[in-house]
Amino acid sequence: MLVGAFRGFLEFAFPSPRRVYAIATLTFKESIRKKALLVFVVFAVLFMFASWFMASPSDRPEMQVRNYVAFVFIAINMLVLPVVLLLSCWGLPEDIRIRSLHTVVTKPVRRNEVVLGRILGFASVGTLILLIMSTVGYIWIQRQVSDNVDLFCRVPVYAVSGPDGVRFLDRSGNPGAGVNVGDIDETRSFIEGGSKAAGIWMFPLNEKSDTLKLESRFEAFRTFKGNMNRSLRVRYVLVNEEKSLQVPLPTFEVNEFGTNEMDVNRKLTWTDEQTLKESEVDLYEDLAVPSNDGKFGALVVHVQCLDRAQYLGVSRGDFFIRLPDRAFAVGYIKAVIGVWLKILVIVIFSVTASCFVKWPVATLLSASVIIVGQVARELLDKMLSGTQAGGGAAESFYRLVTHMNETTPLPANPLITAIQLFDHGLQHLLWMVKFMIPDLRSFGMSGWVAYGFDVPWQGVMLPSLAITFGYFLPCLLLGYFSLYLRELEAK
Amino acid sequence: MNNLTSRQRKTACVVGILVLLVPIVILGMPAGDQAEASSGGVLARLRSEYDLGESDLGQIDPTSAAMNLVLLGLRGVAVNMLRMDLDHYKDTKNWAELQATTNAVITLQPHYIEVWKFLSWNMAYNVSAEWDAVPDRYYWVKEGGKFSQQGTKRNQDSSELLWDTGKIWGQKIGRSDEWKYFRKYFISDPDVERFNGGVDDAINPEQKDNYLVAKDWYTKANTAEEKNVQHIMMRALFRSYPARSQLDYADALQREGQFTGVTVAAWQQSFDEWTQSYGKMLFRTSECELYMEANEDDVRQMAADNGVSEDIVRDRLRFLQNTTNYRYWRTRSASEAQPETAEAHQLIYEGEQLYKSGELAEALPKLQRGMGLYATILERHPELAIEDLTAEEGMWAVLLWQKILELQQKPIPETFPLKGLWEQHKGLLPELEDRFNRLGL
Repeated sequence: MLVGAFRGFLEFAFPSPRRVYAIATLTFKESIRKKALLVFVVFAVLFMFASWFMASPSDRPEMQVRNYVAFVFIAINMLVLPVVLLLSCWGLPEDIRIRSLHTVVTKPVRRNEVVLGRILGFASVGTLILLIMSTVGYIWIQRQVSDNVDLFCRVPVYAVSGPDGVRFLDRSGNPGAGVNVGDIDETRSFIEGGSKAAGIWMFPLNEKSDTLKLESRFEAFRTFKGNMNRSLRVRYVLVNEEKSLQVPLPTFEVNEFGTNEMDVNRKLTWTDEQTLKESEVDLYEDLAVPSNDGKFGALVVHVQCLDRAQYLGVSRGDFFIRLPDRAFAVGYIKAVIGVWLKILVIVIFSVTASCFVKWPVATLLSASVIIVGQVARELLDKMLSGTQAGGGAAESFYRLVTHMNETTPLPANPLITAIQLFDHGLQHLLWMVKFMIPDLRSFGMSGWVAYGFDVPWQGVMLPSLAITFGYFLPCLLLGYFSLYLRELEAK
Repeated sequence: MNNLTSRQRKTACVVGILVLLVPIVILGMPAGDQAEASSGGVLARLRSEYDLGESDLGQIDPTSAAMNLVLLGLRGVAVNMLRMDLDHYKDTKNWAELQATTNAVITLQPHYIEVWKFLSWNMAYNVSAEWDAVPDRYYWVKEGGKFSQQGTKRNQDSSELLWDTGKIWGQKIGRSDEWKYFRKYFISDPDVERFNGGVDDAINPEQKDNYLVAKDWYTKANTAEEKNVQHIMMRALFRSYPARSQLDYADALQREGQFTGVTVAAWQQSFDEWTQSYGKMLFRTSECELYMEANEDDVRQMAADNGVSEDIVRDRLRFLQNTTNYRYWRTRSASEAQPETAEAHQLIYEGEQLYKSGELAEALPKLQRGMGLYATILERHPELAIEDLTAEEGMWAVLLWQKILELQQKPIPETFPLKGLWEQHKGLLPELEDRFNRLGL
């Protein structure tokens, strides 16, 4: 038995590249024969008429870029994913049905090599389609965007994560929280103007330069119209509390829903407000505070609103140090890699599913994974965290048939207790589903590019890579055993 | 199953198809020539008769038609999803996505008037208010107005959409808190890079005042209303808007400190349009049909024409005139067209400006003379004194005059021009004091 297990391990761990390549090549050819590339016809039609749907002469340039980038990636996703899903789900079951798999398994080809070859073959088809579509998409964006618009990718350095990253001072200057002004979107907290209130960002400093570019995109909230001639005024103050240094930078007006850029010289002259003594400070030597997050420490910046009784909306991502920009193509390629990783995950799932069920069921199963992983993930998170109004499935059904509002408290009776117990049980099931199905939203990187940012490696690309490879091995194992144990004659 | 051979069955099918084809052709044959209403099948003729064809409703958008065809019966589902996205983008302030989704919704529902109305209002009123800089707010007002204009092209006979477009160019531009800026931007767009300091041709190709552009849209709405009933408001009010826009135009010139020349001419034209165009329009009431610019002879004639008593005509006339504030606007435009009225406004305005710049000695006589002239006008048209707008201006002049006297440590005389108005409208004082304090005078 031990010998058998060892042989099995060897079979699984050391597949023959030659055989895997052969199966992958055959899979690729078979997909082409199945007219998978017809998807390009739809793609071509879409891009030919895209400007009919999207062109609006009044659009602002930055809005145009966002819409064009979003369109390209939506089109690619909508066209490539169904194709690879259907191909991957149909491949093996069809081989079993027409018994062509019999001719393969009777040869010295191992089951895991069949699964691996299939995965690689379908992934290559998806990759080819993706490559062509993304190249066409890139050229299309370049041609559509007005000549006076520069396409680039910002490289931001955000405040360090954790509670020290962004903090707030209340109106008296004591540590506190930002103000909630009643916005539906609670991403931002607000700083009261004309008071001691401030938002404090702590940026890691990893490289030295003569100038540091600070960029922000804050929101303005007025409690009264005030002076309409100008926007709210904001000031950055560079602070090193240990050295009692507070260096204010020039005041500027908020460009709401746009960007505020400021270049800060390494050497700064400032006047002590108490002694009125003028002195020079160095950004890295004098103002940087010790921190493990940055090679040269960290820069602490206080953000204040100067208009009395007006508020400045801020969040961690609204303010960052902007490193030299990268080419638009860099961010675009990274976003395409995101789509590619998503294709890989779908192929892996679909091929695995097709190893143990027939193609209609495999298609349904894989489509469900995509829907739950992409569209219903937010709902799933809300249901599990208990923030979804209306409760679980049974409670929702009860409210539906009794015409009860989702926020109305439920009556206390045995039926309700039973319903809630049932939902509680379901919640455990959902919890399992949540951890079994990948969060496909994390593969969507086009938003970064659309808003003119490079896709961060650590925060976005690495998790996506980890998810893809994390699902690869278990799925391969499951596919291997399923195919091993499956009665191929059963069709 | 039956005794027919394969060939016989096929022949029977072909005959059946041909037989069924005849009624289909008779019913569904498309119209050959648009100008000829009798061409085409029964359905095409009915479509033409009741203006139900796509081309009868307005411009045809191939994109929209293609989308609706592709979606088959799932248009409603798609629209629901897009509307949810739209709300999400508004909540999270993703304006580019909001605009793109708005266009997508309308591609699917090009003839749903309420959708056009809601989405244009959303941009012009809601989204614009979210932005801090006034030029940005103006951009979104324009976007809302342009969207509404686009809707009128797709639905050329919709009086309500035409009226809504007029409302954005008239009321939103001319009456917002930012009206001073918006009115300037309407003539000289703040997006210098794109419009080079000129107008945005898409909304104002003739470089007119915003109220005059609104007037054109309201006029179009009135024309469309003759064919398609509107459900926004009482007909007599709806049809007053072109003339009201002319009044608003003259009033806006005054608000901006222009009192003579073009302003007096604008008031004169307002009077003519109010009394001759709008005043002579026929409106049907519950008992009779009448027009509002009517003297005793007209009342007698209308009673005879409608076969009712003169009292009924008078009663209905009073009702219509009260509802539309007809007499006030008549008197106001008549009085404003007089040179003395223009002079009174100018003196009060100049007095205020001098006060703001601290030239109290020069401001006092201006205000005094303005008050005197204003009192003369009110004596001539006493019905104006009961209107808040008129009373407010007179009270404001008296308040400034009194403040100057206080600063100069002089007593306020027992009698002064506009004293009657001052006593009559003391209730307005807290609001005026507040305005005085807010201006930091």
